[in-house]
Amino acid sequence: MWTFARLHHEMYVPLTNDWNRDHPDQPIVLSLLGIQAMEQRLLSSFMSGVPSAELLEVERAMSARAFAGPLESVGFTDITSLVERDGLRERIHPAAFKPWTMQGRIFGIPHDLHPVMLGYRADIVEAAGIDVAQIETWDDFVRVLSPLLLDASGKRRTDRHLLNLWETHDTSFEILTLQAGGGLVDSGGVPMLDHPANARVLAQAIDWIRGSEGIAGDAPYFNASGNQLLIDGFVIASFVPDWMCNVWRKEMPQLSGKVKLMPLPAWDAGGRRTSVWGGSMLGIARTADHQDRLWEMAKHLYLSRDVATKLYKEGDIVSPVREYWTDPMYDQPDPFFRGQAPGRTYINLADQVPDRFNSPFAQLANVRMQAAASQLSAYAIKSGITAREQLLPKAQELLVEAQRDVMQHVRRNRFYSERESVSTSGDLR
Amino acid sequence: MSIAMEELPERRTKLGSQGMKMHGWLLVAPFVVCFLVFTLYPLLSAGRLATQQTFGPGTARSVGLDNFYQLFRDPLFWKALRNTAVFTLLSVLVQMPLALGLAMLLNRPGLRGRNFMRLVLFAPVLVGVVFTGMIFSLLMEKRTGLINQFLHAIMGWDLDFAWVEQGIMPALVIATAWQFTGFNMVYFLAALQSVPEELEQAARLDGAGAWSRFRHVTWPAIQPIATFVILLSIIGNFQLFELPFILLNGKGGPNNDGLTLVMYLYQTGFQTGDLGYASSIGWMLALVLACFGVAQRVLADRGTMPKGARA
Repeated sequence: MWTFARLHHEMYVPLTNDWNRDHPDQPIVLSLLGIQAMEQRLLSSFMSGVPSAELLEVERAMSARAFAGPLESVGFTDITSLVERDGLRERIHPAAFKPWTMQGRIFGIPHDLHPVMLGYRADIVEAAGIDVAQIETWDDFVRVLSPLLLDASGKRRTDRHLLNLWETHDTSFEILTLQAGGGLVDSGGVPMLDHPANARVLAQAIDWIRGSEGIAGDAPYFNASGNQLLIDGFVIASFVPDWMCNVWRKEMPQLSGKVKLMPLPAWDAGGRRTSVWGGSMLGIARTADHQDRLWEMAKHLYLSRDVATKLYKEGDIVSPVREYWTDPMYDQPDPFFRGQAPGRTYINLADQVPDRFNSPFAQLANVRMQAAASQLSAYAIKSGITAREQLLPKAQELLVEAQRDVMQHVRRNRFYSERESVSTSGDLR
Repeated sequence: MSIAMEELPERRTKLGSQGMKMHGWLLVAPFVVCFLVFTLYPLLSAGRLATQQTFGPGTARSVGLDNFYQLFRDPLFWKALRNTAVFTLLSVLVQMPLALGLAMLLNRPGLRGRNFMRLVLFAPVLVGVVFTGMIFSLLMEKRTGLINQFLHAIMGWDLDFAWVEQGIMPALVIATAWQFTGFNMVYFLAALQSVPEELEQAARLDGAGAWSRFRHVTWPAIQPIATFVILLSIIGNFQLFELPFILLNGKGGPNNDGLTLVMYLYQTGFQTGDLGYASSIGWMLALVLACFGVAQRVLADRGTMPKGARA
């Protein structure tokens, strides 16, 4: 078995040991690979037919590439019937299956659900006497927290922003567009950049970034500099999926007791309060022998209570298996989050996690979406127009252009056109 | 007996000739095998791939020249080509005068510590491009990056200036210059050391100033090497990949301003899964490089470059 995440590897070691003790004739060898190395080896193996590991844990971008082409050429075993036979559809949250499903066929057991919340500097917010419970929409967020905007130097330069968001944060755009009802690709895997919700998000984000108030600031994720800016209080709130809690805990212990979590403000009153970021699955190589044994092993690793416990205790990740959500561990107050119970807060939002579909064109769509954001930002700087209502037509125009470019690639792809002609879910606009 | 004695050397020569032939083939066989397996076959395969569309593992269909047709209509391809050409031009314009200037400075016999300085200036090329990318991504951070902090301290530079967003091209040129100027300097240094000292002295005696000596004595002597270095640099710069890949996190950067041809090739081939389209990009790049190769050959034949110089 190959996995790319150290934490996962550490969790699986005792479980594979147990398995090997019970099945000495068919032991599982567990290997930890760098994500890039694994991707290259996996795709090379699928392309050339050379055997890979039999059990493969992959993340979303990697799987999109592995899912390309006709269904019969996908290197993973179609486990749809096994999922249904063993009742996994009922046990696992349905949104968790979406990224691993192509044309209605499931190719992997989901590892996680990854709802997203806002992690915010509760020490600063509470010291200012602000109660975040008043916040329901993004407009509320800006209105309620704007007293915290700070120009410490007096040089009309914002030294404290409300939201960690920048035109280069492509993942943040995906989070926000999914929350708003848009996204990169539709259920058929066809790009949908010109969706009105995407234009709305883009216009609003550039308003926050380029507007005179400086609502949004840039503290890059996964970066020492960005971490320092978070510690310094350069931004009040950042997007935090469940796994990010662990990243914060390990990389920024200075934030302990200073931060809390709150649901994402909705785009409209009564709207969705979360989104999704990241994810991985466990698949079985199509070429592997002993598919039944591998299926049992996969379930042993992904569905056991032990893994769910370790996943949360060691990785802050909420299991996608619903029956474990009643476990009291999720209600344990966490001193890092000022006594909040992060697990329960994420579980409370699980049913609002948006469906996120996978496609080999998702990466290209993401690149174009980010380019549109940069172009809109450049337009705002040049024209001086920063109000979202005024930016909206330009955002729509840029996204229509981006969609046209991406569709040029989709349309000329004969495999995809054929696939869509037999699919009921695709829409080759 | 006499006949036999006469025939023997002839037969020996005959056998020797065949043996020699076989011996020769055996000697070149490793090269021929390697050439066939690692050069000719991939080349032919890449040519065939460029006329196919691939999509995911194990799927390929012939599309004729459609990949090239699509390429000419693809705005990202043109953007990548333009970015690469601009980068190459800027890079050459920055690096060459800098390398030549440093070489001239370090060629002065009386300069103290010149060997140490040569080593220091050459050393960055020993660092991998990936490390250079990592180092510069930290140096060029907004707010916390050393470059912004330094410029802010000495001239009130905007701490929030985003090199990667607002100035990816200068950022790439600076990082490349840091790494490769010393390398080019070594070529110039070697060329300068071959300039006849007598000519320099004669020009000096004739009252020629520094500029005149450089223009009429030094430059003509080093021009063949300079042309070679410039062409080598152009060809290398057209293949730029790792640096923007690291600085821009594997993407093209804001508005794809940092997307280079090889990055686009990588994205289409290994991220979108269309190896056929990626191969056609590769062939276009090969065509551009071949043009420079031909230019190099023409210049070499005209005598402005060392005859044996091949990039």
